[in-house]
Amino acid sequence: MPDVQSMVNEFVIKLKKRKVEGSKSTAKLTAELLRSFISQQRLPHSNQAGALIDAVKAVGEKLIAANPVELAVGNVVRRVLHIIREEDLSLTTAAVGGLSLAAESDDENDTEQDDHPVLSATAVAAAARNALRPPSLQTLLEDIPHSAVAPPTSSSGGDSEGKSKSADKNSMTRKLKHNVIEAVNELIQEISTCHEQIAEQAVEHIHHNEVILTLGSSRTVMEFLCAAKEKKRSFRVFVAEGAPRYQGHAFAKELAGRGLQTTVITDSAVFAMISRVNMVIVGAHAVMANGGVIAPVGLNMVALAAQRHAVPFVVLAGVHKLCPLYPHNPEVLLNELKSPSELLDFGEFSDCLDVGSGTGSPLLHVVNPAFDYVPPNLVNLFITDTGGHNPSYIYRLIADYYSADDLVVRRKSAS
Amino acid sequence: MWYRSASFILDRQHQQQNDTVTNPDSRPLSPSSSAMATENPNPSISMYYQTRAAHHGVVTSDWLAQAQAAVGGNSDDAVSDNCVSGGDEECKGFSVVDEFNNWRKQPDLAEAVAAIRALASVIRSSQATTMMELEIELKKASDSLKSWDTTSISLTAGCDLFMRYVTRTSALEYEDFNSAKSRLLERAEKFGEISYKARRIIAMLSQDFIFDGCTILVHGFSRVVLEVLRTAAQNKKLFRVFCTEGRPDRTGLRLSNELAKLDVPVKLLIDSAVAYSMDEVDMVFVGADGVVESGGIINMMGTYQIALVAKSMNKPVYVAAESYKFARLYPLDQKDMVPALRPIDFGVPIPSKVEVETSARDYTPPQYLTLLFTDLGVLTPSVVSDELIQLYL
Repeated sequence: MPDVQSMVNEFVIKLKKRKVEGSKSTAKLTAELLRSFISQQRLPHSNQAGALIDAVKAVGEKLIAANPVELAVGNVVRRVLHIIREEDLSLTTAAVGGLSLAAESDDENDTEQDDHPVLSATAVAAAARNALRPPSLQTLLEDIPHSAVAPPTSSSGGDSEGKSKSADKNSMTRKLKHNVIEAVNELIQEISTCHEQIAEQAVEHIHHNEVILTLGSSRTVMEFLCAAKEKKRSFRVFVAEGAPRYQGHAFAKELAGRGLQTTVITDSAVFAMISRVNMVIVGAHAVMANGGVIAPVGLNMVALAAQRHAVPFVVLAGVHKLCPLYPHNPEVLLNELKSPSELLDFGEFSDCLDVGSGTGSPLLHVVNPAFDYVPPNLVNLFITDTGGHNPSYIYRLIADYYSADDLVVRRKSAS
Repeated sequence: MWYRSASFILDRQHQQQNDTVTNPDSRPLSPSSSAMATENPNPSISMYYQTRAAHHGVVTSDWLAQAQAAVGGNSDDAVSDNCVSGGDEECKGFSVVDEFNNWRKQPDLAEAVAAIRALASVIRSSQATTMMELEIELKKASDSLKSWDTTSISLTAGCDLFMRYVTRTSALEYEDFNSAKSRLLERAEKFGEISYKARRIIAMLSQDFIFDGCTILVHGFSRVVLEVLRTAAQNKKLFRVFCTEGRPDRTGLRLSNELAKLDVPVKLLIDSAVAYSMDEVDMVFVGADGVVESGGIINMMGTYQIALVAKSMNKPVYVAAESYKFARLYPLDQKDMVPALRPIDFGVPIPSKVEVETSARDYTPPQYLTLLFTDLGVLTPSVVSDELIQLYL
């Protein structure tokens, strides 16, 4: 069995060298790594969830730092943290239920004490439930004590468990870990099947004789279009080639191979063609909490053209691409400058690029950003595994999938 | 638009002639305004904005005298008036409104905190023996508070929030009456802390959005915005602030003073220079008197036009507001709110035939706002209604 730490380091190096790219494969690898990390983690007897969370956080921090632009890593780490919190909660509420039952059976012997434990048990459960939810107006007045109550939750749970049975405690240790791993497995399953989930909705969105425009290459878009084709929809696809990597060429080839009517256009022809298009369907690199999209370069232009001609701009994104952060200055901070070799052949501009000649700094610069930021007001619809959503609704999904504690802590430690 | 029709203007002129000079009641419709026992004696002047001006405004002494004359010296009357009118429902030696006004005088205390402290004093002095009685008593008190100053949104929101807590909190269900009462009191006492903490959280959340070398436009004086900028300055961020003057109480001057103390480069603008300087601005930061259900904000007069200018020049508009300012209002347009009026000093005497727009606030619709920084996190405007529905449904 390989050492986990070396596995982590190996993955970090891979991320740093950009050996793993693409949000889906990164997300899947991260989830698998965290699964094996959790399964090999030794847990103390008291406050296991806290220890597990701290350990995962430490690893997560390393992974995120390795490639901060690949937001899927952070997303998966936060999802796993959320899973741990959830599983811990369901275990403690079960334990608390048992506790209050025990207290009730005790109450014949000793009446004055029983009132208190029952109350505190329900209060503890309520506080724990609140801790998972994002802060809301509802908890505004209630929330001062919950931070004070939260730490004792686990310790008091541990105490009473210890009092009752030590064997039970042992099973609970294993149970938490087992449940978490089970849930992480589900997460991995979800990431690998998200294409199919999204593609299932294709017929609802693509109609007969429509013209669809897309840019570059995306696995999700491919499955989506083919799913509509399989349901006997006949439509045409315009593929913008997606300079500088020209992934659109391969994409168009594959579409044609699957029997779809395909037209290849240059990126600069998007505006000329958009008036004939019924819908723009694209993939995304990440979806931010405000509904903005980090997408392959060139898509902001497509979105603007679509808005100009009131063409619906639809973004397909698996749930693992939902990022709970708000973009600030995304054009710069969440971007990556790729190698200029994608733009220029070696030696083509070597005389202008020569650092040694004349002034010492080259006259010609080549900048090759990887991503565009599409602001939320340009996006009409997000299609995720769970259905179609408005950009303003994204925050709701994020509240479902991530717990508020993880966002803040992560950002603080990252900065 | 009935209020813009000629007949309405004629009616109003007629009405104004009939009005006495000391109490120019310019509210178009005030049905049964004298029916309430604790009605504000001078509804034409917004108490909320008067308090703000007193705390944060830079006002000249002769202006104060003028304002005092316009109010008709009611600040002394108000207290006695209240006690007398409260007499028929047995004046207990104190009234919520007095209590509230006392709390409100503290400049560092938020309006909602003052409201909740005032309601707490109702609980403290209450003779009720059951939860139901206490609730009814509180309801009465909060209603009289709300009708005392209908212009203060955070007062209304604070009262609603506390009432909601009292009536629906599950934590109170199991306890006997006295411990429930003391728990309520404890929460009310802690609300000041919550409010302070909220400001800290907002300041922390907004730090990522303030980048080195940026220029921030702020409007008027807001404690939250000041806290945000102060935290940014403490974090050694390099930024420049444009302060609007904030006529007529010139609260912007106060903010620029505070910022100068922090060694932040500040430039003062007159309110009409916003569009002129907008091209230099990277983001607009405003506070809010109230955040309404649509996700829009109600804030000091001039916020709307700044937001419009910012939108047309593609600059982000950020709102910093504590979550207890979320109010269950849905204004459809600017005039769709209780008018909050205040005296305005023009420096020269205004002929009586000239009408003066004395409204103190305006409504900025959500499509002009980029993000709201609240203690619940960074929110898009559409989240606000969600939060409110969750709380009050």
